Amino acid sequence: MKEAECRNWAEVPPELTSSILHRLGAIEILENAQKVCRSWRRICKDPSMWRKIDMRNDLDVFGNLKPGLEKMCRHAVDRSQGGLLEIEICSSNLRRLKLALCYPITEDGFAKAFVKLPLLENLEVSYCSLSEEPLKVAGKSRPNLKTLKLNSVGYRRPGNESDDEEALAIAATMPRLRHLQLFGNRLTDAGLNAILDNCPDLEHLDLRHCFNVNLVAEVEKRCSERIKVVRRPHDSPHVISCWSQLPL
Amino acid sequence: MSKSEKKIVLKSLDNEAFEVEKAVALQSQTIWVMCEDKCVGNEIPLENVTGQILAKVIDYCKKHAVVDGDGDESSEELKNWDTEFTKNMDQSTLFNMILAANYLNIKSLLNLTCQAVADKTKTIDEFHTFLNIENNFTPEEEAQICQENLWAFDD
Repeated sequence: MKEAECRNWAEVPPELTSSILHRLGAIEILENAQKVCRSWRRICKDPSMWRKIDMRNDLDVFGNLKPGLEKMCRHAVDRSQGGLLEIEICSSNLRRLKLALCYPITEDGFAKAFVKLPLLENLEVSYCSLSEEPLKVAGKSRPNLKTLKLNSVGYRRPGNESDDEEALAIAATMPRLRHLQLFGNRLTDAGLNAILDNCPDLEHLDLRHCFNVNLVAEVEKRCSERIKVVRRPHDSPHVISCWSQLPL
Repeated sequence: MSKSEKKIVLKSLDNEAFEVEKAVALQSQTIWVMCEDKCVGNEIPLENVTGQILAKVIDYCKKHAVVDGDGDESSEELKNWDTEFTKNMDQSTLFNMILAANYLNIKSLLNLTCQAVADKTKTIDEFHTFLNIENNFTPEEEAQICQENLWAFDD
């Protein structure tokens, strides 16, 4: 090959390199492409590279899951700096899924994801605009769900804005729940009673900012007898932020 | 429309002339805009593309124009043709095809060639040798990358 023909790819305009790198999976980028040269590393660090995260090729040559996948995935999400639109995880071994501030998530997409995650035990859907229907889908397809966090920003006028649909969906489809966080939910005592009736394993219950719930008399008794840790509607919301974990 | 109006001449950087059907050439948005502007005659100079590469681009456009036109080939066949088309291209040709597809603004060809590079190159060594890219990290940067990539070991 003539000297002039032996082109150097580092000379390709960055947008073209970026277009090529977009076709690699997250694991290939993190393990290989970003270590190629300076300009590639710069492109690999740009948040625009990480709007869609594709965790394919997660098996090693022996067919085992590669070590460090969770860390790689977290690293990839960090690099998106809040711009993440889509994440694809081929692993059907996923046990914990957290979706926070995912406004564009659709009920259809949610249902499709669920079919692929048979081992899921821990689900968080916080500050998203989902109705009770996807919750039913989640509960029905994953009766083993142990932890559910369904947090919302709350509401202004308790009493005028009550809604037990989500609570009833939980009660009807998630009998094995042990940890339930419903920050800012509009449920009433009726919804809470349905949950207490149908989720006998419940150990942690977080009802902060659920101002339609009156934890008095019979309901209060049922809660304190049955459940190890109860956070009440008027407890300080500052103890845990929206990103923190329930004690597990 | 007379016969001459349906044809167009594309002239490469090294002055090679190709007479092609207009429908074939107009898959390039760049050529389409040039024709719309009417600032060029029937002969369009393409200053960034050599004759060798332009010939391949035209092959691609002919194939795709025919299929779009009379639909006598299935998309499966077209896909196979695309795979064959890039399969044995050396890195220099692929490099120039990407630049040409970008300059001529032919989206599907750009996708195809970028995908081919992504498919052909996987390991760091392949990136360095196949794409002829120099590792220009300083030792400090190398150390930083190693530090960042500890996920495989400290789980």
